[in-house]
Amino acid sequence: MKSLALLLFTINEAIRKGTLLFYAAVATLILLVFALGISSNEANGLITFFGMPIAVQAGKQFDVGQFIIASLHRQSVFWIVVFGVFGAAGLIPSMLEKGTTEIFLSKPLSRTALLLARAAGAAGGIVINILYFSAGIFLVFGLKLGVWQWGLLTAAVALSFTFLCYFSVVTLVGIITRSSGFTVMLALGYTVISWGLEIRQHGLYLLWNNDVYHRVLDALYYLLPQLSAMLTNSSRLVGAVPFANDTSTFSIIPFVWSFGSAALLYAGSVWYFTRQDY
Amino acid sequence: MTALQTFELSKTYRPGAFKRKNILALDKVSLQVEEGEIFGLLGPNGAGKTTFVKVALSMVHPTSGSAIVLGLPLGSVQIRQQSGYLPESHRYPGFLSGFETLMLFGRLSGVPVPLLKTRAGELLERVGLSQWAGMRTKRYSKGMLQRLGLAQALINEPRLLFLDEPTDGVDPIGRKEIRDILLQLKQRGTTIFLNSHLLSEVELLCDRVVILNKGRVLKTGTIAELTAREPVYEIQLASPAPAEVLQELAARTFDVTARDTLLFARVRDVEQLNALVDLLRSRGVAIGSMGLQKTSLEESFISLIQGETAA
Repeated sequence: MKSLALLLFTINEAIRKGTLLFYAAVATLILLVFALGISSNEANGLITFFGMPIAVQAGKQFDVGQFIIASLHRQSVFWIVVFGVFGAAGLIPSMLEKGTTEIFLSKPLSRTALLLARAAGAAGGIVINILYFSAGIFLVFGLKLGVWQWGLLTAAVALSFTFLCYFSVVTLVGIITRSSGFTVMLALGYTVISWGLEIRQHGLYLLWNNDVYHRVLDALYYLLPQLSAMLTNSSRLVGAVPFANDTSTFSIIPFVWSFGSAALLYAGSVWYFTRQDY
Repeated sequence: MTALQTFELSKTYRPGAFKRKNILALDKVSLQVEEGEIFGLLGPNGAGKTTFVKVALSMVHPTSGSAIVLGLPLGSVQIRQQSGYLPESHRYPGFLSGFETLMLFGRLSGVPVPLLKTRAGELLERVGLSQWAGMRTKRYSKGMLQRLGLAQALINEPRLLFLDEPTDGVDPIGRKEIRDILLQLKQRGTTIFLNSHLLSEVELLCDRVVILNKGRVLKTGTIAELTAREPVYEIQLASPAPAEVLQELAARTFDVTARDTLLFARVRDVEQLNALVDLLRSRGVAIGSMGLQKTSLEESFISLIQGETAA
């Protein structure tokens, strides 16, 4: 109950400080734009966005609809996660500010419960928003185009899981640096690193032809949550329409690896937090 | 029953990235605080007072030594279940009202919600904040935050209360109100650990006091024990004592110092005091008033710390 109280307080804090509401407002605005703008014309088979044709039905209306949804999802997942970090990253260091941490630590919660409840609250608020946005897109396209893309909901779960894994990095950085600004910066830097590590064979490997260096990059790839790979695979869950440059099918491997590395990073955060003097 | 007992508790901080520099905050501190006492922790800045409290509440890990708090070993969550803490600098979520703040920390302390609502209201009333219960704490003054801090420390009805500068920023009337609350808590059997720079306040409240300096215990005892010294009487004369009277007093081995119309007499006992008065009266010296000069806790404290520094 005490942990739940802290979790709910953290979500409340994110709402009252406006970060979560801003996130929800942006999501709502996008949903409204699509709800008002997109429509399909049964007579001529056109799908229009504020009257402008964006795809020809050509007897495959639902495939086109699926393609639009899948494209939209692929374009937006990165921003969903990045904005999520902006909204939630500051909540971990803010608990460690002088004068605040003493009061929280004087209450009868173990440090493990304190940290995990705080992290769950911070990430939980964003996960609620991800689910809200995904459910909204599902309903808008279902009602407006008649395309009930169930994969959107599956992808929302995968995306939420991705954010929780990503947040393990944010939590560890926040606990060590105790700085909101630094945490956001390093977390965003990690998104770039994650992308660089995923395509290391075609990029970072080429910078230095050294076996040890290559092994270090491989180790980092498997030790850190595979953000980029999880985002790509989340999008693959959306629809059956393959993209021209992506013929691969969904793989659960990045999620399994990331689960392990996130568990390790959360455990590391707890280990560090329990050993510090405040 | 003992509320808190420490056994050669030491803490060394190793600040900095490379942790080369050591700061000894507590040096083998052994203390015993009985249940129901108001116990004062005194010392100059950096003496280790806050570190001591933080070790007791497991916010700081001791380097060596051990402690038993409320019958439990250091680190037990149960200690915090039965204790309250008002830190020296405390910040509350500014977006919460005073009432909401108490509800939050009450929930975190495991107080059942129905009971908590009543208790939060009562505590706000008790610390004089009921009028501002619905106001966001970011609009509270320093004194109001201090009162709220005391209320949050009391939300779980603690057996052991740690207060770090509880009247800091509070006006004189507020200080008196807080002192009254602490005395009421003492009557109910709450053990209070008071960490304050206001020595007059410590003198008014504390049953026993420990003086810390550079992490070490300099002295422990009751206020009377700490301020005890050979009695000095202050004798107010109608006019300055004539020089020949003073010479005679010195010749008769009276330890007397004169300053204008005042005489400071250090005497062994009442008999010697009466002999001194008889002699003054027999020489025609008129006495206006007479009283035992007291040493304040502040004087004792300064003399102890200065003695330690000089040593």
